[in-house]
Amino acid sequence: MSVHDHHGMGYRGRPQATFGGAVSAWGRWVASLVWNLEHSFERARADARPEEDTRVRIFLIMAAFCGVFACLAVGAAHAALLTPRGGVGAGFHPGALTRADLVDRNGQLLATNITHYGLYIDPREVWDIPAAKAQLRRALPRIPAKRLDKVLSGERRLIVLTGLTPSERRAVHSLALGGVTFEPEDRRVYPLGTSAVHLIGRSDTGGEGVAGAELAFDKEIRAAGAAGEDFPLSIDLRVQGVVENELAIAAEEHKVKGAVAVVADVQTGEILAMASWPTYDANRRNAAPDEATLNRVVSAHYEMGSVFKSFTVAAGIDTGRADMNTLFDASQALQIGKRRITDFHATNKVLTLEEVYLHSSNIGTSRLAVEMGGDVMRDYFRRLGLLDAAPIELQESAAPPKVRKWDDSTLASLSFGYGVMVTPIQYVAAYGALSNGGRYVAPTLRKGGRPNAQTHQVVSPETSATMLDLMRRNVTRGSGRFADAPGLRVGGKTGSANKLVNGRYNPAVAVGSFAGVFPADGPVDAKRYTVFVLMDEPGVYPRTGGYVAAPAVGRIANRIAGFLGVERKADRWSTALGEKIPEFQDVEGDGR
Amino acid sequence: MIAMPAPVKRLFEWKVRGVRCVEIIGVACVLALVFSVYIAKAAAARESAEISRIERDIRANRERVRLLRAEVTRLEQPARLEALSREIGLGPVDVKKQAGEAVLPDIAPPPVEKPVEKAPAAPPAATAEAVQ
Repeated sequence: MSVHDHHGMGYRGRPQATFGGAVSAWGRWVASLVWNLEHSFERARADARPEEDTRVRIFLIMAAFCGVFACLAVGAAHAALLTPRGGVGAGFHPGALTRADLVDRNGQLLATNITHYGLYIDPREVWDIPAAKAQLRRALPRIPAKRLDKVLSGERRLIVLTGLTPSERRAVHSLALGGVTFEPEDRRVYPLGTSAVHLIGRSDTGGEGVAGAELAFDKEIRAAGAAGEDFPLSIDLRVQGVVENELAIAAEEHKVKGAVAVVADVQTGEILAMASWPTYDANRRNAAPDEATLNRVVSAHYEMGSVFKSFTVAAGIDTGRADMNTLFDASQALQIGKRRITDFHATNKVLTLEEVYLHSSNIGTSRLAVEMGGDVMRDYFRRLGLLDAAPIELQESAAPPKVRKWDDSTLASLSFGYGVMVTPIQYVAAYGALSNGGRYVAPTLRKGGRPNAQTHQVVSPETSATMLDLMRRNVTRGSGRFADAPGLRVGGKTGSANKLVNGRYNPAVAVGSFAGVFPADGPVDAKRYTVFVLMDEPGVYPRTGGYVAAPAVGRIANRIAGFLGVERKADRWSTALGEKIPEFQDVEGDGR
Repeated sequence: MIAMPAPVKRLFEWKVRGVRCVEIIGVACVLALVFSVYIAKAAAARESAEISRIERDIRANRERVRLLRAEVTRLEQPARLEALSREIGLGPVDVKKQAGEAVLPDIAPPPVEKPVEKAPAAPPAATAEAVQ
């Protein structure tokens, strides 16, 4: 070995010698270090402080280990005991959705999210392209042929169709074709189809609400979705169904252009049903004509006609300018400037306030309005919310055209519902204020009403009670006879107006409406519901509200009373089964 | 050296085949700890696998429930129900044919206690009267 080494050194020269030298130097250094360590105790003893040295070393090492292990123990204990429940990620919820299900007040589904599937095809993995094409067309007829051709003749995996329903996916999947894959996508569906479509609205494919309640409660629907809860609306689907069906029947019977019906709780302002006719299928919105997608309840303005007399009469009673015994001269037309105001059903005699209301006398209400003056009328109209957009959550809620003049002629028009256009929802809210003790409650689609809702007094509770009595009389003896429902004590007011066509009121184009409330008896703060029906441009005669809208109100009230828990009872006008109680005290008799 | 109390000293000097018993006991304890931690960890892993399986199950079921609920709602569309029931001749019940539970005894009196043969004849007649 030493011989070989010498040889190597002799022939190869420096480099290897340097390497070997470095290694041996390192070895020597390590050996001396170990030696030093091993003999440090002896040296310490030799330095005459043996105990101190050992103890310090042991103490230091133990302290270091204790520190490290204490940290580890604390960390482990923290991880084991104090991690939030529910596992990874904050706010995780197994049922979390981007948008909550919309439900009605009883938990019936209105809108939901269903996983749909996108269909992808990779043509490189398809064995027999013509056969695959034929099979796909048969399993999924709505597949666009062009797109399918393009994807199958291509080179890459591409999407063919989005929004496959689970059953369509199953149909395609069972073909067992190579190269066909699905990717899940969340999609909003409206299983009710045409029902409640206007008020539910819709959300786009990105999950943003774009219309109706989906837009109005967008944030809250998302929040409820993240928490895995349903979002309830104030709607009662049973009532909504009845209202829609009866509205559709009436609309077709009278051949109208459009129709509106609303049922609301007068005490809380909750909307129980809201229907706009014609309607459309929420899942095929693109195919619907514009006139069907319009929510007439909140977006369409109408001059309502005589239903406004309720407001004029209420204002008159509330200001103390009229009571049940006040007389109005309707024996001849009222002349305001160049304008003559006449009655539709002319009575040509002096009328009491009740008769003015029951005969729907334009002359009577005009006199009352002119007596009260512009400021008073404007104040009442403003407090009834007739001059501003209805404060319902729906963003479609439209502001009414401004009433510019408040002179006598305008006042006369306003008193019987001309010269002022309002949306049906504005009317319903104002009408509710007359029948709930005089409080204006903002209409709402939120179940249970708005949290800390602001209400304001419009008329006194006594005025409200008088109005309820008048409305009930109008149904038992006046123009609203057809709205009566057995035992439900329906009260209400008819309205008929001609529409303004090219600047003139055209008697051939009319709007008929009926605003009903039931039960009309009992204390002013009792449970009570308004039913409002409006028929836009009936195509057949008769076209007045008493014929086109009142029967629908009666039928709706009759069918929904059970759902709302309104019992059938007798009052002084009729029995619980709807038979009239003859009135012996009526001196004029019932000969009209 | 620090003066150790006698019992502690004895404990440390208790040896088996030159190995301190304290150390043997310590090692045994550590081994037991290691083993139990391993068991617990394995059990936890199994549990969490089970939990995620159940959660997956729940999600799938929830999805299915949503689908079925939507299907039920689609079938229960008010317009559809009304059309179907009108088709088979159903309609709103006439008010004269409606009754609450309070009037039920009047319409159909409860059977009389006495086991008389003729008793059953009476209720149908009463029902007919009340309904009319």
